[in-house]
Amino acid sequence: MQRNRRAEGGRIDRSRPLRFTFNGKPYEGYQGDNLASALLANGVRVTARSFKYHRPRGIVGHGPEEPSTLVELDGEDASGNRPATTVPLCDGLSARSVNCWPSPGFDLGGVNQLFSGLLPVGFYYKTFKWPGWHLFEPAIRKAAGLAAAPASPPASGHFEARHAHADVLVAGAGPAGLQAALKAGRAGKRVFLADEGTEAGGSLLNRALTIDGKPAMDWVSGTVAELDALENVTRLQNATVWAYREHNLVMVNECDPDRDGILERSWRVRAGEVVIATGTTERSMVFGNNDRPGVMLASSVQAYLNRWGVVPGQRVVLFTNNNSAYAVAADLAAAGVSVSAILDSRRTVAPEALDLVAGLTVHLATVVSEVRGHKGVRAVKAAPATGGAGTWIECDLLAHSGGWNPNVHLWSQSRGALRFDDDLAAFVPDQPVQACRAVGAAAGDLSLDRIIEGGADLAYGIEPLWRVDVPGQRGMAFLDIQNDVTVSDVHLALREGYSNVEHVKRYTTAGMGIDQGKTGNINIIGTVAMQQGVPLQDVGTTTFRSPYTPVSFGAIGGLREETVLFPYRHTPVTRWNKDNGAVMYEAGARWQRPGYFPKPGEGLQEAVNRECRAVREGVGVYDGSPLGTFELKGRDVPKFLDFIYANIMSSLHPGNGRYGLMLSDDGLILDDGVVLRLDAHRWLLSTSTGHADAVNQHMEKLLQTEFPDWQVMITTVTSQWNNATICGPRSRDVIRALGTDIDLSPEALPFMSFCDGTVAGFPARIVRVSFTGELSYEVNVAPRHMAAMWDKVMEAGAPFGILPVGSESSHVLRVEKGFLSLGHEVDGTVDAYDLGMGWAMSKKKADYTGKRSVMLRRASGRVRRELVGILPVDPDRQIPEGAPLTPGGRKEATEGLVTACVWSVVNNRWVGLALLENGHSRHGEIAHVRMKDDVIPITITKPVFHDPEGKLMRS
Amino acid sequence: MLLIPCPYCGKRNECEFIYGGPVGAKRPDPNAVNDAEWVEYLTVTPNPQGPVQEKWWHARGCGEWLVIWRDTRTHDIMEAPDDAT
Amino acid sequence: MSYDVTTQRCGLAALFDLKGSRETIQNWAGDVLPPFPDGPNTRSEKNETELFHIGRDHWIVRSPLSQEDTLESRLNPADCPPDISIVRISDTLTFFRVTGRDTLDVMAVACPLDLHDSVFGPDAVTHTEAFGLKALVLRYADGFEIAVEQSFGDMIEDYLIRAIS
Repeated sequence: MQRNRRAEGGRIDRSRPLRFTFNGKPYEGYQGDNLASALLANGVRVTARSFKYHRPRGIVGHGPEEPSTLVELDGEDASGNRPATTVPLCDGLSARSVNCWPSPGFDLGGVNQLFSGLLPVGFYYKTFKWPGWHLFEPAIRKAAGLAAAPASPPASGHFEARHAHADVLVAGAGPAGLQAALKAGRAGKRVFLADEGTEAGGSLLNRALTIDGKPAMDWVSGTVAELDALENVTRLQNATVWAYREHNLVMVNECDPDRDGILERSWRVRAGEVVIATGTTERSMVFGNNDRPGVMLASSVQAYLNRWGVVPGQRVVLFTNNNSAYAVAADLAAAGVSVSAILDSRRTVAPEALDLVAGLTVHLATVVSEVRGHKGVRAVKAAPATGGAGTWIECDLLAHSGGWNPNVHLWSQSRGALRFDDDLAAFVPDQPVQACRAVGAAAGDLSLDRIIEGGADLAYGIEPLWRVDVPGQRGMAFLDIQNDVTVSDVHLALREGYSNVEHVKRYTTAGMGIDQGKTGNINIIGTVAMQQGVPLQDVGTTTFRSPYTPVSFGAIGGLREETVLFPYRHTPVTRWNKDNGAVMYEAGARWQRPGYFPKPGEGLQEAVNRECRAVREGVGVYDGSPLGTFELKGRDVPKFLDFIYANIMSSLHPGNGRYGLMLSDDGLILDDGVVLRLDAHRWLLSTSTGHADAVNQHMEKLLQTEFPDWQVMITTVTSQWNNATICGPRSRDVIRALGTDIDLSPEALPFMSFCDGTVAGFPARIVRVSFTGELSYEVNVAPRHMAAMWDKVMEAGAPFGILPVGSESSHVLRVEKGFLSLGHEVDGTVDAYDLGMGWAMSKKKADYTGKRSVMLRRASGRVRRELVGILPVDPDRQIPEGAPLTPGGRKEATEGLVTACVWSVVNNRWVGLALLENGHSRHGEIAHVRMKDDVIPITITKPVFHDPEGKLMRS
Repeated sequence: MLLIPCPYCGKRNECEFIYGGPVGAKRPDPNAVNDAEWVEYLTVTPNPQGPVQEKWWHARGCGEWLVIWRDTRTHDIMEAPDDAT
Repeated sequence: MSYDVTTQRCGLAALFDLKGSRETIQNWAGDVLPPFPDGPNTRSEKNETELFHIGRDHWIVRSPLSQEDTLESRLNPADCPPDISIVRISDTLTFFRVTGRDTLDVMAVACPLDLHDSVFGPDAVTHTEAFGLKALVLRYADGFEIAVEQSFGDMIEDYLIRAIS
């Protein structure tokens, strides 16, 4: 039974009852309710337990400011830590309080209250210190936790993130926002109006105000109707502007978009101008036991009454320092609710406020010093503001108003300055930094008559009271209800030397809850100011950070999940690879590549051995398409290549290719690759797969910023050429079997040359390069022919036992030859000399990228780590890649590391490569790998284990 | 997400660009400078609190390398350093 | 309910990348090219052949695939003057067409650019981002085309299906 629901009034639909459960108990509410209004309607007072002390808590606010009642939603749309005031009620909703077990009414964690002295402010700073922190951490985490992350993603539907552009973005559809949107909309501008509420109107939804003598909501509906008729206006409800980024990029999170299947939608709006019409939030009063269930913000009591037809108490006391609570009292009295007293900390009150509450008891210069009642307010102590004995007033609801804070979060996020306004006793927007303006209550216009012509409202009239400070007051006085931070916590932090407000915040965690202290932060600043005897302006605010209210990770990610979480690239052979049992994974630059091709029942090593044997003894083929390829054109290409490569490229003749190292100007190896000269002015440059983009950037940067006069034009053709690299002693036979008009004899097509022609009927370019050390032909064709070409290679190669080769085998084959791999042997510290590739560093050229730095570094004479081969003394002993080498295997500084270790089919043992101090002069020595619990002796050798003269690849 | 003016494409989202670092000294002839001067060229880059001239590559756009003045305090992008607010 | 949008993964088109001075290219190519588009990031069209002006001294020609050999022989990339660059790139891009009533909704998910017709007109073409990748985006009849590096084609198809459903 909704015992606190009025028979009529409010913006709910009593003809549409909704059933829901809270902590397992069934309740009923109405369409238009949120979870909080429905709980209050049902008379549920204790709705939560506090974070640290597990004190019983009720509902405090009516919107995103709610500090107290956080819930976890069950079922399909499970989510955690949602303020109950922001959860729209729907049929079948199932919610639980966070942070209590088994229920907020009977919470075992409540024993923490008895030990509150053991949980002082700065508890984390004082406890989580080495070496003991890991002993406390699991227990603390469990006890202090909020809701758990949902166990699984939503069962149906998905999130969407999208972009939008507007001339004017208006944040907030209250009276000021609606006016701003209407003006811009009528002027034909592209307007984006986003409002966090379920319907437009802002504070007008909660208050019984008039515009031009008519109900203010009539004006709202008229304005909304006009806006919705304008094609250039986009109006969203349930859409919170939660971040204001650089250059007027504004993030909007739309919950419950008007489209089935989309759970939440994240908008990234770039706006010409941003109008901040975010309204204002009422702040708490600070007094003893101000967190008891039944202590609520006055404006929230008014909202529940007017908007949801709910009376959260039968006997009400109001406590205020400004005029706004008088309208609340008047609304309550008009609804027949018993108002026991209005306690006002001010000495004088404007007559028009008093006129509103004629007939009610008003005590001026009076404060609430303490609340009695554990699971609900039973009485409040009214004490003279200047001290002296108080009197208890019985009541079940205390509605308090500590004044109003303009919602400057977005303004502050935009880096706009804030100014403390003494008349308003609040921080208000000062100078903007970006193209934005604040309007309405957000700008400090705290009564309707200042916002809209014809609006009737009481003047604000505040005299600030940052905390009640009368002798003999008792009970914890909370500044931050969500994080359980009290006045004495802030005093302790100040005594312990945390005097800056940012330090106070971090030390006490005040304002660091998910409500970001919307109702309490100003009182913290006020408390600090009172203690230090300085104006609030000098204390300043803590930084307002996004998100303004919590946002689902899903909404931020949008469509990015499952298979498209990361980009992926395919070649025309990907389908064949998958059909033929390849184990696929990413191998650089987002390319999905086959790792190996296991036969049924075969493991990785067996498959790799089989593939390697095919290449060494017969023939294998791999898909080399991912290699980065660039066509360079222009008269200055030779000069340019000589500048970016360490060796000389300009002497290449058309039809030939050359391997080279590319350095950065600080002397590190950027890439290695092969350059082909197509004709006088056209060149083809290939890069390692993973560095294609970096090389492109490097080249374009040099050409555009250093040498704008050089005539070099670069076109990326990585995906214009695919290639099947056929390698092994029988590779020539396979190409002949495929059919080609290219003369394959070693005389006509020697190692490091290329020729254009046809292969298997396809236009092709054959390039004789080798990354395996075997006779090898890179058959390049256009991607449109690649899949067909691949089929023909497999068919023509079948009589020769051709096997597809994955990247695992490619790795083994290159290690056997000592061919370097960027990321393995090249780690950003080694140079070409360390790799035994001094020949790749031209001595003839006076200058090329990186030369000076390499020479400078080598001139220092420091010990270098040099590339060596390693043979484990026990040939069956594998060494993990990356394992450290130390002198004698002792626990000393390392002298190198193992960069690769593979099972070599041709050597029938494990072989590897390592970078070792002075390695070039240590061939034949025994060195030691130091493992955590073992020392492995290895023999140092030349870094080549197969065909050291390189005869095979030149055959 | 900055909005960066590309001289060819107009204002575009930062995500279309790759940062190329502040504009430093021009690369000297490595054979005409001493070791210290070479190291200075490599390692010393402007890092002011205020307007800084920097390079960006419109990698996901027209491919232009461009130079802008950006105020590191405010992210204001301006024609010239004097325009800083 | 899904978006009212049709997507189509297009087959190959003949594509050539042109770099260098407009005059030299024009002189070399003669009337095989449409008139050069005026503004940056716009395109022109003649006899099913389109010319995209997508960067400083940078264009892409697009024709039906059946015209590829003709274009190749007329543009003759191998023999063109040293101060211009002509490269066949037909295979490097995969085009997708997005059409239908809710096209702008799906494009707003894909692309951060302002595609409002007051900003991105009927002859607009530009390199920008689509689904986080470098992409060529252009207006096409009653919708848009998105082209990405060919190897990302499967992924964009994957994304488009997700965006629409």
